[in-house]
Amino acid sequence: MIKIEQLSKIYGQGDDQVVALEPLDQQINAGEFVSIIGPSGCGKSTLLRLIASLEDPTSGSVTLETANLKRPVGFVFQDAVLLPWKTVAENIRFPLDTTGVSRKQANEKVAELVELVGLKGFEKSLPKQLSGGMRQRAAIARALADDPPILLMDEPFSAVDLLTRETLNDELSRIWQKTGKTILLVTHSVEEAAYLGSRVMVMSPRPGRLKATYDVDLAQPRGEQTKRDPKFLDLVSELRTLMREMTS
Amino acid sequence: MKGRIKPVLEYSAALLVLLAAWWYVSGPMGMPAYLLPSPASVAELLWSMLMNGKLLPHLAFTMQNIVIGLVVGSVFGVLLAYAFFKTPALSDYLEGPLVVIQTAPKIALAPLIIIWFGLGLTAKIVLIFSLVFFPVFAGALAGFRSIDSRLHDLAQLMNLSRFQRFLRIDLPAALPGIFVGVKIGAIQALVGAILAEWMSGSDGLGYLMTFATATYKTPLLFGAVLLTAFLGLAMHAILNEIEARFLSWSTPNEH
Repeated sequence: MIKIEQLSKIYGQGDDQVVALEPLDQQINAGEFVSIIGPSGCGKSTLLRLIASLEDPTSGSVTLETANLKRPVGFVFQDAVLLPWKTVAENIRFPLDTTGVSRKQANEKVAELVELVGLKGFEKSLPKQLSGGMRQRAAIARALADDPPILLMDEPFSAVDLLTRETLNDELSRIWQKTGKTILLVTHSVEEAAYLGSRVMVMSPRPGRLKATYDVDLAQPRGEQTKRDPKFLDLVSELRTLMREMTS
Repeated sequence: MKGRIKPVLEYSAALLVLLAAWWYVSGPMGMPAYLLPSPASVAELLWSMLMNGKLLPHLAFTMQNIVIGLVVGSVFGVLLAYAFFKTPALSDYLEGPLVVIQTAPKIALAPLIIIWFGLGLTAKIVLIFSLVFFPVFAGALAGFRSIDSRLHDLAQLMNLSRFQRFLRIDLPAALPGIFVGVKIGAIQALVGAILAEWMSGSDGLGYLMTFATATYKTPLLFGAVLLTAFLGLAMHAILNEIEARFLSWSTPNEH
């Protein structure tokens, strides 16, 4: 469970102050898939970075009920952020190598993850030899390697082409169902948010704040039929209208 | 493999042309041997010195000093650069002075180094160290500072210890920058080693040069100069090989 209390973030000081996130309260239950959408500057990435402790909050707190794990969260960035001098397999194994998991155990885990994200045959490739979509798959596998209960994803698919994006969306949905992780996904795409999330948080910009939340009442597992479901289409159009109001 | 053979051929062709010109000037053109000994006489001398064991100790001495100076200078250069990178206060105060000191030609300090550190090995290593240190320091600092900030995020997410962070992320990420410095430092190390041997001692290729000059043994002088040039080439080749093997990830892809 993630408990967010009066969490806010202000960058800069005095007249140059920018309020990235106004005080926000939210509770995210274990096993939820929360999509976060909003126009640029709405603080959605800031929220994610605050939850991951990559930034210090100006006020408020984030409590992760994860039994004091060394690494409670896996994080997937907009770009893959792989270590360019390591192969795909070494990159995926990196979180395990740095916590003293035995080499044999780690390699088994890597083989399993490579299979899961569909990178079989590319274990020994360097990141520069892969396409953007494949790098992103490797990054997702790395984030899953030491089995964190929470997965935070900051626009993970914005740099990949549409077709790959849809494939990765389906894979992510499958991974979520299989592992039961708590996932927070920041995205620009209302379809992606509605398609994947069990809940959608909509944020508005300047200053960044939470505008609305929607529970997504769509059957699991989701697939092509979801995209034709009238409930899905209604939600997408409602979200889109909301987004448009904010940007106009 | 094809890409490797071409430069070797080019090098060999250039060397052959030089050798032919040298042979022509010293032989058919009739340049006196005390000004320009023939390639054959130089080769003969080097061969006989190699056989009677008078050459390798000098070569080994010079190489040993270069390697020690290069390694020690590089290690200290990288460590200080990392300290500067991690402690902005340190670099605020010391970076300016350090650059000013660097502009002083260290070769001019060589006699002072001899006075301070004596005629032995220490002074030689110190001189080489002083020449190697700064290029490696500058390259490493640039390397550390150009690390993708998202790799720092990654290190934080992974909850890495300081040591893990240095060894597994910061050092490898800065390696291309460090290597630029080491390549410059290696050339400087050769210069420093020869210079130090000119000034004191009775070992090394530099010493052979001063000895040959003082005793008008021109073939020996040529031999020592040639060996120094080959030593430089060999170091260059070794460093290129290391770069190709360990830093290929940092160059754009070939296909």
